[in-house]
Amino acid sequence: MSDGRTEVTISYTLNGSAVTDTAPASRTLLEQLREQHDCQGVNASCERAVCGACTVLVDDVPVAACATFLYDVDGARVETVEGLAADDGTLAPQQRAFVECGGFQCGYCTSGMLMLATGLLRAQPRPARAEIRAWVSSNTCRCTGYEMILESIERAAVLAAEAGEPR
Amino acid sequence: MTATPTEQPEILPLPTASAEHRVTGRDEPRADSVAKVTGKASYTTDVRRPGMLHAKVLRSPHAHARVLRVDAARARALPGVRAVLTPGDVAGLRPHGAMVKDQPVLTDTVRHVGDPVAAVAAVDERTAIAALDLIEVEYQVLTAVTGIDDALDPASPELFPEAPAGAVPSYGDGASGVLRPGHNQSYEFRYTTGSPSAWADCDHVFEDTFWFSRMNHHHLEPFIAVAEATDDGIELWTANQAPFQLRKELSWVYDLPENSIRIHSAFVGGGFGAKHNPKADPIAISLSRLAGGKPVRYAMTTEEVFLTLSQHAARLVFTTGVTADGTFVARRARVHLDAGAYSELSPLVCEKAGYRTPGAYRWRFIDSAASAVLTNTVPAGAFRGFGGTQVTWASERQVDLIAQRLGLDPYELRMKNFKELGEPYVPGESGIDSDLREGLRLVADAIGYRTRERTPNRGMGVAVGLKDGGGVNKPAQARVKVTAKGDVFVSSAMIEMGQGGQSAMGQIVAEVLGCPRERVVYAPIDTHNTPYDQGTNASSGITVHGSAVKRAAEKVRRDVLDWAAGQLGRDPGELTLRDWTVRTADGQRHPLPPLIAGVFGNLGYEFSADGFAKARNSHRAPLEAPCVFWETGWAAAEVAVDPDTGQVTVLQLVVSGDAGKVINRLAARGQDEGAAVFGLGQALFEELRYDGTTPVNAEALAYRVPLAEDLPLRFSSITQEQGHGAGPFGAKGLGEGTMLPVAPAIAQAIADATGAQLTRLPMTPERVYRAVQAARDHR
Repeated sequence: MSDGRTEVTISYTLNGSAVTDTAPASRTLLEQLREQHDCQGVNASCERAVCGACTVLVDDVPVAACATFLYDVDGARVETVEGLAADDGTLAPQQRAFVECGGFQCGYCTSGMLMLATGLLRAQPRPARAEIRAWVSSNTCRCTGYEMILESIERAAVLAAEAGEPR
Repeated sequence: MTATPTEQPEILPLPTASAEHRVTGRDEPRADSVAKVTGKASYTTDVRRPGMLHAKVLRSPHAHARVLRVDAARARALPGVRAVLTPGDVAGLRPHGAMVKDQPVLTDTVRHVGDPVAAVAAVDERTAIAALDLIEVEYQVLTAVTGIDDALDPASPELFPEAPAGAVPSYGDGASGVLRPGHNQSYEFRYTTGSPSAWADCDHVFEDTFWFSRMNHHHLEPFIAVAEATDDGIELWTANQAPFQLRKELSWVYDLPENSIRIHSAFVGGGFGAKHNPKADPIAISLSRLAGGKPVRYAMTTEEVFLTLSQHAARLVFTTGVTADGTFVARRARVHLDAGAYSELSPLVCEKAGYRTPGAYRWRFIDSAASAVLTNTVPAGAFRGFGGTQVTWASERQVDLIAQRLGLDPYELRMKNFKELGEPYVPGESGIDSDLREGLRLVADAIGYRTRERTPNRGMGVAVGLKDGGGVNKPAQARVKVTAKGDVFVSSAMIEMGQGGQSAMGQIVAEVLGCPRERVVYAPIDTHNTPYDQGTNASSGITVHGSAVKRAAEKVRRDVLDWAAGQLGRDPGELTLRDWTVRTADGQRHPLPPLIAGVFGNLGYEFSADGFAKARNSHRAPLEAPCVFWETGWAAAEVAVDPDTGQVTVLQLVVSGDAGKVINRLAARGQDEGAAVFGLGQALFEELRYDGTTPVNAEALAYRVPLAEDLPLRFSSITQEQGHGAGPFGAKGLGEGTMLPVAPAIAQAIADATGAQLTRLPMTPERVYRAVQAARDHR
């Protein structure tokens, strides 16, 4: 029985640190991050690239980690929610914004929403409400009804500009 | 016909909240903020135990079938498989269910597509899935029961020929319950009040039928359990809203003492009512027992979750009598809930559906019955709104039909018939604790309803949903502890599943103890150590749970001040507590740490006290205890309807709930908006569809939930603080109320725009188009 046991060796950066993994070719990025790199903030839900709970950035682009093979990030920059805060624990502007504006409730979609927001603000530091809405429509939230997430991302843009940074 | 003069309603006194507080009512960041925005928040999905095995389940492809043979030999022989469960392995376990215990752990008679037949625990999920493919099952397909009408037809098969174990709870005045009232019905709840002679005073009697659709809860965290279990006991990590209720049920199923079952609760990734009773738990537990007690993790896939629990679809027949001027007089309601294949929580949903038929209005006579009808589809259970959503749809829609038929304005008709502030919901009940007219005026004015201009194919609608809140006869306990340094613990079984309940409890304690909220830590929840509670549901967190927490904090404060008074030679009445410092009436300040060290030595001390809350029993109250509070949701909507396609665009949606007194503004707003979007989805498109007994869209890609792009361009909520809540500082609960009126408000707006009256959900373009055509043909 073919079980995807062909092994691959993949090198990439994870939240800024160089990483080399050896894993079966069938390994998804989601599984690798959660099981081998202690990224418990990357949450598994639909595992079909529909809900976006597992959204991470790969070379600045939001992707569903459940539907990305580990081998697909060879040579790429991978970023998860674990990499947003500074080493001393200071929250990034988008994290502060979600706290301030109540952009979360159960929190299960929040890591994905934050990475989506991070990707958006890198592509467009001053997004209009319509653009924020279009991006957020990639991801499902069942708790908030979205309005407070949209406000959080608007606030994130302001806080990021104040901090003088693209992150 | 002259109407009998209406009696003046008896108005009961209500509490009225006092003014500002230090910690409650402000936009405090929630206590779980940092954890949730850094990814450090722990869910049951993050639990890892040494040597943990992974479970997968084989589910029936048939809706109704006998399992003749299960051959798992090849599965057991697969390397990496540690345990295989078949129906024979669990035949000695008792079936479970909230009131009617008809759901086995694994069944030899499958009753819905997706019913579990076998399960495997293996070293990893891949191996477990491979093992499922090696299990051979021989089915004898039986005739299936496809829906409410089919189930009630005496010619259809009886799904439970033998009566399952069950018990009817005791009820008060006017309420009653019956097990197995008829063919394929597991429970019926009835409520009546007033005299049927009221019908004679009606100038018009209208009978209408309404249909309510079925949705899936779609919590992003699936049903998941990690179990370490032997014949002597169970340790369980599970995503569940009511761990003590689960413990009781598992004690029944496995015939184990409750103190041999220990349940740990982490953050829950969304519940909405789904996470009650055994779900992933029995499979994980039984596999663990078979695997010598090794930990077994069973995380359902989204597709499995679709096949495990849903909301109740319903058929509702409402017969309502009114006088010529539109005064409501009498209502007879007959509700059939599609309970799916197993009773689960359906009997309790029947109770609430049957009890909530009066809605926000005054009646002289009510005759209400709601029954749980069993069909070969996914079991239905607790879902945000809990029967209130179903009957509000029917009730509000019928108010609008009556308005149309009598040539009355639907807003004025509601205003005319609302119960007054303080008026008992029904005889023996507590009084309505919101001014219903004030709320309706608020949302109506927010969209410009009363001054709207008539534009073709554009319309506005308003609606109100009212449900009892706080649970039925529900107790809660809590403990507050303070260390010698002034660090605070609150320990109670308030499950944090997004509503911000644990954070609110911290704010309440901080308010009472006069300390910053940051000094309060919410203790981990486990059933061995945490004070008892009946579950985080029924919007009861702030009022019931919060009252227990507040009383515990008040007792601790009293204990501290009594003790300090003794040390200082003062009267306790002269002392106040703030920032862990005792202050006297004459301005002296005595920090507590040195005072405590002076008596207890440097090893320190903890003050600890418990609190308890429950409404007092009363046989006059139909549900055996008056309801703790009333949760009202008001909604106003503006729509544009394209008559050529039936497409409805919601231009504005404003919802409002009355928090009594807000504990946390962000959390209150979040609950109202989240609930409203549930209502929006159900109104227009979201539905778990069945073709007979075959699920059609039970998977992530095909099941459409609201996304950000589905929000109206103008969507907002108004958090009222009318101040009459029975909870801490005048607070009430939120979280379900604003789901109730959204679909009815949109339906009224569609009628306002086009004359078309929809009676079935969701109001898809096809249905709207046909209704618009029918309305045109009638003109």
